[in-house]
Amino acid sequence: MSDIESAPRPALADAASPPSETDGVLIRLEADYAEDATFGKRILEVTSEVVRIVEAEGAVSFQIPIADIKSARNEPLVGGGRLEITTKTGDVIPIVTYSLTVAAKFSEAARGIEQLAQGQPLAINLKQERTRCPKCNRLLPEKDGICPACIHRGRTLLRILRFMRPYRFHAALLAGMSLLTTVINLAPPYIQGTLIDRVLTAHKDLPMLWGLMTAWLVILASAIVVQILNGRLIAYVGGHVAADIRAQLYRSIEFLQLTFFDKKQVGAIASRVTSDTDRVWGFLVDGLPHIATNFLLMLGIVGFLFFVNWRLALCILTPVPIVVLISIRFWKPVSQLYHRVGQKWARFHTHLNESLSGIRVVKAFAREDYENNKFLHRNDELKNAGIAADGRWFTVFGAMSFFTSLGTLINWTVGGYMVYSRQMSLGDFWKVNAYLGLIYGPLQWFAQVNNWFSRAMAGAERVFEVMDTEAEAYNSGGKSHQIKGEVTFDNVRFGYDKSNPVLKGINFTAKPGEMIGLVGKSGAGKSTTINLICRFYEPDSGSILIDGVDYREMPLQDLRHQIGVVLQEPFLFNGTIAENISYGKPGASFEEIVEAAKAANAHNFILSKPDGYDTIVGERGAKLSGGERQRISIARAILHNPRILILDEATSSVDVETERQIQEAIARLIEGRTTFAIAHRLSTLRNASRLIVLEKGEIVEIGTHAELMEKQGVFYKLVETQSAVSQIIQVAG
Amino acid sequence: MATVDPKTLRLFYHPKDRLRMIIGEERCCLTVKPVWASPLTFPNRYLALLDAKGEEIEMITDPKELDPASREAVERELRLRNLTAVVSKILHAKQEYGATYWSVETDRGERDFVTQNLQENAQWFSDTHLLLIDVDGNRYEIPNIRALDLRSQQYIQSIL
Repeated sequence: MSDIESAPRPALADAASPPSETDGVLIRLEADYAEDATFGKRILEVTSEVVRIVEAEGAVSFQIPIADIKSARNEPLVGGGRLEITTKTGDVIPIVTYSLTVAAKFSEAARGIEQLAQGQPLAINLKQERTRCPKCNRLLPEKDGICPACIHRGRTLLRILRFMRPYRFHAALLAGMSLLTTVINLAPPYIQGTLIDRVLTAHKDLPMLWGLMTAWLVILASAIVVQILNGRLIAYVGGHVAADIRAQLYRSIEFLQLTFFDKKQVGAIASRVTSDTDRVWGFLVDGLPHIATNFLLMLGIVGFLFFVNWRLALCILTPVPIVVLISIRFWKPVSQLYHRVGQKWARFHTHLNESLSGIRVVKAFAREDYENNKFLHRNDELKNAGIAADGRWFTVFGAMSFFTSLGTLINWTVGGYMVYSRQMSLGDFWKVNAYLGLIYGPLQWFAQVNNWFSRAMAGAERVFEVMDTEAEAYNSGGKSHQIKGEVTFDNVRFGYDKSNPVLKGINFTAKPGEMIGLVGKSGAGKSTTINLICRFYEPDSGSILIDGVDYREMPLQDLRHQIGVVLQEPFLFNGTIAENISYGKPGASFEEIVEAAKAANAHNFILSKPDGYDTIVGERGAKLSGGERQRISIARAILHNPRILILDEATSSVDVETERQIQEAIARLIEGRTTFAIAHRLSTLRNASRLIVLEKGEIVEIGTHAELMEKQGVFYKLVETQSAVSQIIQVAG
Repeated sequence: MATVDPKTLRLFYHPKDRLRMIIGEERCCLTVKPVWASPLTFPNRYLALLDAKGEEIEMITDPKELDPASREAVERELRLRNLTAVVSKILHAKQEYGATYWSVETDRGERDFVTQNLQENAQWFSDTHLLLIDVDGNRYEIPNIRALDLRSQQYIQSIL
């Protein structure tokens, strides 16, 4: 039996001395779990002397002097995390548990505790994030994001309308047309009423019949002209404004910091460019004219009804509030049910897509019955959701129709009586009847318009949120600098979630023209080092110097122009081979492109294609083989002529001959440039000037291939493991 | 799959916060992290015991066969390590502007949370077994929807 020793626990603090602001608290964070892992509240407090936990009622339940701490870390749990402290005697003490909502902040606190324990100044970022809306206290869908319930819809609408400024003449014309449409819609019932009173019931003045009919014909013709003009104007203004918003949004997205892309999926970002701008477009093309015309129409009709006969108007409008109430009360549950149908459709589609695209696997494993059962299940879900939604819809619509019809019934009852008792002419009765039909239609959609408006404004707000997000300092000031190629990492620390450091104090200098091989297991920090060199991210602490100058003082555009990247999975854009090569140097001559292709050993295979340099590479270069894509990306980098070159596992997964050609091309490419290379096969780094071996974010060895092999340390072990594995694979093969 | 006879294991806390394990007569593991191998499909079965580095030491098919003291220690550690809350009642749920706002009662107390994109974040493991994942990644499990009160079931049915 082994080593069960009693672990000395640091003494608990004096529970009677609750902390106060005067204690010099450097970090104070609220955890959302109690000690027994129920939801609760505990507070972590860190001073320059101690780390302590304060319970919800104010008592200190745990305290440890900073001097006794060796390290602190966030232990990931399922659905949360735990702050653990390792004492100088080697004990690991879990001190506080928290949910994922606040985990990032506690990781940052752990880093802070470590800094204090190591006598370093506290340098952490504990930005307060808003999780609830300050206005309505509703939980926010995204931390620090917008509250969809509280967006200032009027302000957002104004911002959209600002995009109309270049088209103000068209917009004014459009407003005039809307007004004209209203007047034209009101005219035919008026003509009919007059006709009934003056001609039909009076049995005289036949010329008036012809006159009125001519007027009606003119109105009909004008209505068509106005409708066509209106439609064309709407399409013009709506299309232009949406295109302008899309263009500005895309430009903003291009310059966003990479951290934005880390937090959001490509699909979600793309949907802001497509569906969110589409919603704005839909609103401008359909919504706004619909609302404006109907609003004006209703106003006109109500005014007219009261003008014709105010008593009848009052009677027939009695059901209006009920229709509006039904619309407001029942629209939401019905739309929720349809939303549910949408979800079921999505599940249904996913299954259908999956089973059809995987039909070979289904057949090979004889799982047709299993897939069929799954399909039937999804089909049933969809059917039931559809029946529930449609059932509710027809009930609500039926109730609304009843009250709408009630208006007509009241009109015939009260109006009929008025005509009978000669209080009103038949013509006026006809006008009222015709206008009644025009007023109840838009009323039924009252609540839907509100929902429509809200959705469009929320879409617009998401678009504006991206436009307002802080961009990279791409064209920022700083002195333009012709890079010679010396790259220095000075105590660089960095973590993607700010506090879970991936690089922990990296120090090295690469001399101009040197080839540095970055070696280590996956997760050691190799790709992160490269991301920092490209300044896709900036160090959390420490600095990266290029030719002795902090690269944050250089214009970003200038820096990136002088860095070239060849990735393991080269990304080519859909276009010709020549366009892809010249991506590295816009405006390059054809001769330059050919020279670069030759240097990259790509020229011959390009010429073997029927369209040569004009060959379309397909989406992401799909029409080319892996080796061909790789060489085109090398040609692109050669033409770019960078001072600093990044090679990320550039020769993996190709055959031996292609690899030889790529290696040759790379040898030409790296000449005279400072190169950082990551290679999965360690033997390919034999020619590197020096190798940097990373382990868990720290440099463990630096030296030439031969030196490190002789040393028989970490690198030696990695090489040994790899050759053992490849021998096993060879034997197995 | 090789699993160990639970009766040969002894799990206990020493010191106060660290779960240890003694296997048979001669092996001792100073830090043990219990994790469920398939917590949603096989709840309360297939318990993996990992060491401090996260590598498996042993797998137990049925933790109920552990001696009572060991079982209690493991259950406590599991509750501390797996913060998935088991929902016993839905107090309120409503959909607005593409997000769903939930207010629930769980085995760990009451909680309000927001979910988005329910296509991905409401995961069904059977017709009645549901896992909700909120916008931060926190997890809320409903092992059997039919065991909830009628109102809670109506909330789920109207949304999912």
